[in-house]
Amino acid sequence: MADQTVPAVGTAGPARRQSGFFARHSTWLLLAPGIVWMVLFLVVPLGMMVYVSFWTQTTFSISSDLTLQSWITFFSSETYFGALLRTLKIWIIVLALTFVIGYPTALFIGQFVRDKTVQTILLVTCVIPFWTSFLIRVLAWRPMLGLEGAINIVLLRLGIISEPIEVLLFTELSVVIGMVQIYVVFMVGPIAFMLARIDESLIEAARDLGASTWTIFRKIIFPLSLPGVVVGAIFVSVMVLGEFATASALSGRKVNLLGNIIVTQVGSLKWAFAAVIGVVLTVIMAIVIGGLLRVVNLRREL
Amino acid sequence: MQNNGFLRTALGLYTALFIIFLYGPFVVMGILSFQAGPEGGPQFPIIEWSTYWYRHVFGLTPPSRVAPLPIGEALLRSLTLAFATMVVSTVLGTLTAQGFRRNFRGSGPVFYLVVLGMMVPGVLLGLGMALVADQLDIARTWWGTAFVLHVVYTFPFAFLVMLAIFNRFDKSVEEAAWALGVSPGRTFRKITFPMIFPGVLSAMLFAFTLSYDEFPRTLFTGGSEVTMPIAIYGTFAVEIHPNIFAFGVLTTLFSFALLSTYGILMAMSVRRAKFAAVQEDIE
Repeated sequence: MADQTVPAVGTAGPARRQSGFFARHSTWLLLAPGIVWMVLFLVVPLGMMVYVSFWTQTTFSISSDLTLQSWITFFSSETYFGALLRTLKIWIIVLALTFVIGYPTALFIGQFVRDKTVQTILLVTCVIPFWTSFLIRVLAWRPMLGLEGAINIVLLRLGIISEPIEVLLFTELSVVIGMVQIYVVFMVGPIAFMLARIDESLIEAARDLGASTWTIFRKIIFPLSLPGVVVGAIFVSVMVLGEFATASALSGRKVNLLGNIIVTQVGSLKWAFAAVIGVVLTVIMAIVIGGLLRVVNLRREL
Repeated sequence: MQNNGFLRTALGLYTALFIIFLYGPFVVMGILSFQAGPEGGPQFPIIEWSTYWYRHVFGLTPPSRVAPLPIGEALLRSLTLAFATMVVSTVLGTLTAQGFRRNFRGSGPVFYLVVLGMMVPGVLLGLGMALVADQLDIARTWWGTAFVLHVVYTFPFAFLVMLAIFNRFDKSVEEAAWALGVSPGRTFRKITFPMIFPGVLSAMLFAFTLSYDEFPRTLFTGGSEVTMPIAIYGTFAVEIHPNIFAFGVLTTLFSFALLSTYGILMAMSVRRAKFAAVQEDIE
């Protein structure tokens, strides 16, 4: 197979010149390695997760007798169900904040900076923090937020507060702050990209016809940037819903998201419970992405 | 809209604040990495400026109560893993994107199957793979179960990059070469490869950095021999020390070196492409 696919990589021509059977199937030969890899290592593990969620879990072992017990435990347990609600709450807050905080920046980069070089420099500036390990970036919030952290020190020096703010670290707030800072760029990028593509003459025409800045934003700029918002929202949602590291680093393990519970369950070899939570997370994710994709038709817009 | 001076200034100021917000923790990390050691903690005030924690990272300090970061082997593993992931996912991405150059029935499902790999949260994929390994009695190792998941994660990125490159690729140049009787091998070397090279480089860069920093997938499937991110995650549980910040600064510098290499290679490839075009004219 290697002999057939390798020359075809760069030179579709010879393959095309051979008529009939091979030419028709060369596409599938090229695709086969990728498809096989994804089926074996992506579809099978996810299928396995769904299957295991129906297995019988006892304290010390797991057997493949099918049961709904783990599911019943999940939905009747205060801890697990609470974690589900907390995950959804933090996801909504982070999603809303990344949008509200990110949009003005995207607007500036995409619409007000017309020089392509400056645009690129600004976007690269936003991306540079990503060159530090994700986990270290999360840890770097600790000296920022703590009782003797940078924010409290600055606010105290400025005389804005007289007592250090305690709620900054090891609370849900610190988790939200950390996540917003880490993920907001995924919102800025796609929106700025869509905004930069808007045909300038459209806006000029609107202005010539007497439209106010606000009307132009509402009727032209915002609707045209919507695909970017949706792509950004999908990025942020996927990452926040599956999060556990930020929560465990910045909440002192006090805020448990679904991801954290999966980690704990796997640690204590409770595979069936972990699988149930995994399936719940997958379903939430599917609903969220499906819902977002209904807002705009991405395949048509991009 | 961009003529509105007030709005422009306001948004510009906002963007400046936004960038400070992005860099804030980063700067604090940089400052605290010069904390005095070993008694200085990861918080203000700075007791005394020193490079103690940098020497600590490299194991050049006398033993103290702060255990050295287990970076030596972990770093080597992470780099090996990132390199292998980079090679495999770039090859898979290029092959698949090449397959997509022609329309075929079933392209939709195949496209989504591949893209699913970057959409599924790492913790789910790691869990699924751990379950499979557990059932089949496969040992979980960083070069086995973790490696295949890294490729599942990075292959879609490589695929999308190559797809974008092939979409903008002018097929008629290739066809002209064949029509003129240039051998397929020579066509690939002289025409196709120089044209897709920037894409290949970007795909490699994506795959390498994503894999190097990958963590939720590796956590469940990496086994007992830890990679770099897992080693850092291990420090979450215990007290953190400024050595982790010093290490963060060092890795960032390493990343910059990598990015610069990429930039230089990219610039060289563009120049060579121009040069080659001129050469072909003369020939």
